[in-house]
Amino acid sequence: MEWYTLLIEFTLMPLVAFVVGLAMVLMMRRLRARIERRVGPPLLQPLYDVIKLYSKKTQISHGALHDLGIMMVIGGYIAAEVFLPVPGMMGMAREGDLITLIYLMMVPSLGLALGVGQCANPNGSIGISRALTSMLAYDVPFIIVVAGAIMVYGTSNLPTIIEMQQAGGVAAWGISVMPLLAIAGLISTHAMLAKEPFEVYVAPAEIATGPMVEMSGKYLGALFVMQCFQIYTVSVIFVTLFLGGGENWLFFLLKIFAVAAISSSVTVIFPRYKTDQVIRWLWKWPTGIALLGLAMVMMK
Amino acid sequence: MSEEKTFPAIPPAVSTGIACETKKDSFLQRVMDGFAEFCRARSLFILHYCTGCGAIELPPAITSRFDLERLGVSPMVTPRQADILLITGYVSIKTLKRIILTYEQMQGPKYVIGICSCTVNGGMYWNSYATAKQLNEYLPVDMYIAGCMPRPEAVQEGLKQLREKIESGEANSWEDYFKRYDHYLGNQQHLFGDDWHTPTDVIGEARHYDLLGDESLGEHTVRLEKYLQHHQELGLTNVELEPENKELMER
Repeated sequence: MEWYTLLIEFTLMPLVAFVVGLAMVLMMRRLRARIERRVGPPLLQPLYDVIKLYSKKTQISHGALHDLGIMMVIGGYIAAEVFLPVPGMMGMAREGDLITLIYLMMVPSLGLALGVGQCANPNGSIGISRALTSMLAYDVPFIIVVAGAIMVYGTSNLPTIIEMQQAGGVAAWGISVMPLLAIAGLISTHAMLAKEPFEVYVAPAEIATGPMVEMSGKYLGALFVMQCFQIYTVSVIFVTLFLGGGENWLFFLLKIFAVAAISSSVTVIFPRYKTDQVIRWLWKWPTGIALLGLAMVMMK
Repeated sequence: MSEEKTFPAIPPAVSTGIACETKKDSFLQRVMDGFAEFCRARSLFILHYCTGCGAIELPPAITSRFDLERLGVSPMVTPRQADILLITGYVSIKTLKRIILTYEQMQGPKYVIGICSCTVNGGMYWNSYATAKQLNEYLPVDMYIAGCMPRPEAVQEGLKQLREKIESGEANSWEDYFKRYDHYLGNQQHLFGDDWHTPTDVIGEARHYDLLGDESLGEHTVRLEKYLQHHQELGLTNVELEPENKELMER
C-alpha cells in the first residue's frame, strides 16, 4: 500500500467514524423520544452540543493527568477506528487483527480512570470503580464470543472474516453459523455501551453521571465525541463478526444503525441494575449462552 | 473603588504560565464567534435547583407534553456540565449559600433563570425573615419567568427568549459577576456575615480570563484576603480548590 493512501485513510476513517457516530447518537435520541411519545431533538443537535461544549469560555482542569486521560480516551478510539475495516477503506486492518482491536478498546476506559482519578470527586471515583467492574463483567462473555468466532472462521484477521462471510451469502454470515454466540455478542456489546440496564457507572440520579461529574466544557465535549466513537465501534465490530460486514456503504450503514437501534430500544424499557446484579447477570446469562455456543461450534 | 491600588491588601496576580490573549477582531474570528453563539443558543443544558413549588411545572415541560428537547434543552446533573441554573421558587438564606456555591462551579457562558414570583420579589414570602427577596442582588440573573407558578408554556417561552438573547450576544450577565464581584459579594456578606467566602477563587478566575472590571475589587473583597493568602501558599490561586467539607458543614 502506498504511503499517501494510508495517510488519507488514517485521516478519513476516524472522521467518518465521528460523523456516522453523530448520526447514530441522533438516531438513538430520536428513537428514545419517539418511544416516550416526544418529538425529540432537531437534526443537528449532537453537533450543536459538541460545538457548544468546545466553545465554552472558561475551563476547569484538575491537573496534567486529567488532560492526559481525556487524550487517551479519544486517542484509543481513533487508533481503534484505523483497525476497523469499512467498505472501501482497510487502513491497518490487514496488519492488525481482532485481538489488537480488543486491546485498543480498553485504552479509553483506562484513560478515563486515570483522568477522573485526579478530579478527587467521590462520585467520579465510585463511577470509575463501577466502570472497571462492569468491564470485568462484560469482557468475559465478549472474549468467549471472540474466541468462538476466531474458531469458526479460522482466523482473527477482520478483512478475511468479512470476505469469507460475503463469499457465502447470508447462510455464511456469523449470525446463521453461530446464532448463540451472536446473541451473547449482542448482549455484551450492549453492556459495553453502558446503557440501561447496565448503566451502573453513569447512573445520573445516583452518582451524578460518575466519571463525567467533574467534566466541564471541552472535557465533556471530548466525552461526547467519545460516545460517538464508542457506539460506532461497538456496532461495527458486531456487524463485522456476525452480519457479514459491509458490501457497500448503504448496506453497511443500514446494518450498523440496526444494531444501534436494537440497543437503543432495549435501553428505553429497562431500569438500572445494581453493580453486583450486573456482574451476576452478565456472568450467568450471556456467558452461559456463549459457552453453549462455543460448545456447539467445537462439536461441528 | 476605581483603582486597584486603593486596596493594597489584595495580592498581585500569580502567573500560571498560561496567558489568556485578547481576541483579535478579524473577519474569521467574528464568523467563528457567530457560529459558536448559534450553537450555544441551540444547546442548553439545565441544572435544576428545585427549591419551591415551581419545580412541579418542569416535569411536564421536559417530558412528552411539551418536550423541551425540541429546543435543545436537556437536563444535566452537575453544575460543571450545565449552562443554565434554573432556580424555581423561594430562596431561603441557607439555600442561597448552596445556590452561590453551585453557580460559581459552573463554567461560563452560564445563565441564571429565576422562575416564580418568589425569586423576583419574595412573592408570598416577602415578609419572611428567612428568605432572600431579590435573586439578582446576589447573582446576575439573565431572565425571570414570573407567575405563581408560571405554566410550562411560560417556561418554554422564557427559554425561547433566552435563546434569542444568546444568539444576539446579549446574554453576558455571567461576565457581570466577575466585573462587579464586589457588589455581589457585598450583598452576600450582608446576609451571611463578614466571614462568608466560597472555595472558588473568583478574583483569580476573573484575572485569568481577563474579566477584571472596575468594581471587581472593593471594600468587600478585602475581607477575602486571608483566604486568598491561603490559596497562594498552596500555589493554587488560579485554580479551584475542592470544598473542605468541615468548613461547609459548619455553615
